[in-house]
Amino acid sequence: MSQHKIDEDIQELIVRYRPIITFRVRKALGPQNADCEDLVSEILSQVMGKIQSGEFRGESSLGTFVYTITSRRIIDYIREKTKVMKYAPEPVPFPDPQETLEVQELSEKVKKALARLKPKYRDVLYLYYYQELNREEVASRLGISTRKVSELVNYALKLLRKELKT
Amino acid sequence: MSKCKFEDSIDGYLLNRLGEKDREAFEEHYFNCSSCFELLRERDVIIRTIKNNPQLLVEEKVEAHKPVMATIRRELASFLSPRQLALAGITAILILVVIFVFVPRNPSPAPSFFLSDEETVRGSSITLISPVIDMSQVPSSFEWKKLGEDIEYQVSIFNNLLLWRTTTKENRITLPEEVRAKMVPGEKYSWQVKAFSSDGTLIAVSSRVQFKIAPR
Repeated sequence: MSQHKIDEDIQELIVRYRPIITFRVRKALGPQNADCEDLVSEILSQVMGKIQSGEFRGESSLGTFVYTITSRRIIDYIREKTKVMKYAPEPVPFPDPQETLEVQELSEKVKKALARLKPKYRDVLYLYYYQELNREEVASRLGISTRKVSELVNYALKLLRKELKT
Repeated sequence: MSKCKFEDSIDGYLLNRLGEKDREAFEEHYFNCSSCFELLRERDVIIRTIKNNPQLLVEEKVEAHKPVMATIRRELASFLSPRQLALAGITAILILVVIFVFVPRNPSPAPSFFLSDEETVRGSSITLISPVIDMSQVPSSFEWKKLGEDIEYQVSIFNNLLLWRTTTKENRITLPEEVRAKMVPGEKYSWQVKAFSSDGTLIAVSSRVQFKIAPR
C-alpha cells in the first residue's frame, strides 16, 4: 500500500469517524465539557496510530475497532476525573442543543416544525419524549391503541425530518 | 427503504432506557452503520429540543385546565362555522337590545287585593274555638270559625299519633262514642283543621292546638 493511499484512507477515516466519536464522547461527558474536543482528537490519533502500527488486523469491523478504543478512552477519562474529584462529572441529561452552529440551526428548524405540528402529534411527542412515558402509558393517557401511538410518533418524526432536510 | 433493526433502539438509547448490554450493542452498531448514526444524530437534536422547549408542545395544554370551555368551544365549532357563530352572536345581542330598549321599563302598578270577611287567601289560618285549653272531661264536640260556604273541613285529633280523622261541611263536629272512649283523662291531645274548597284544593290550615284532659 502506498503512503499516498494510506493518507487518503486516513483522511476518509477522520471524516467518517470524527462525528461519531464526537457524538459518543459528548453523550458520555456532556457537550459543555471542555475536554470533549481534546478527547476526540486523542482517540482519533490513537486509532490512526494503531492502524499504522498494524494493530488493527481486520478481525472485527473498523467501526467496532474505533468503538472499542473510544469506549476505553472514555472509561479512562472518567476514572482519572474520579480520582481527582471523587465523583465523575455527571453530564446534564438533555443539554440544550447549542454545541455547534450546525446543531443550533437544526434545533431552530425543529422548534419551528414542532410549532407547526397538529395537536395530536404534539400531544404524543410531549408525553413520549418530554414526559418519557412508554408507548403503553401514552396509549392509556390518550385513550388510543399502542399501535396508534407508534404510528403517530413515527409520522411526527417523519414530518420533522422532512423539515430538517429543507 | 429497508429498516435496520437497531432503529428501534434509538429512542431507548437517547432516553437512557437501554440496559448496559443493549446500550453497548447499539453503540457498537452506530459506529458501523452510518444510516443509524444519521438518524441518531437527528433524533438527538429533536429530543433535546423538545426537552428544552416543552412549551412548544403544550401551549394549548394551559387551556386544558378549562376542559369544559374547550369542549364547548369544540362542540360549537363542530356544528357552527365561525361565520354562523358570529351571526348567532349578533342575533343574540340584537334580541337583548330590543328587550332592554323597546320594552317599557315601568310596568303598571301591581293590583292590590281586598278581601271580604267571607273570602280567604289560600294558606291562611283557621281559628279554632274549642277546645283550646285544658278540659275537665273528655270533650264531646270540636268547633272552629267558619271560613265560607261549600268548604269541606278535615278534622284530625292526635294523641302522639293520629287518633281519629273525619271530614265535615259544618264548622263543628260531635265526637262519636268510640272515639271518646279512646281518650283518657290525664292525657294530652291536640287537634287541627284543614279546609278544602269544593274542587279539593287545600285553602287553609289551622294551627295544631293542644289540650289536656284533667285527671279524674
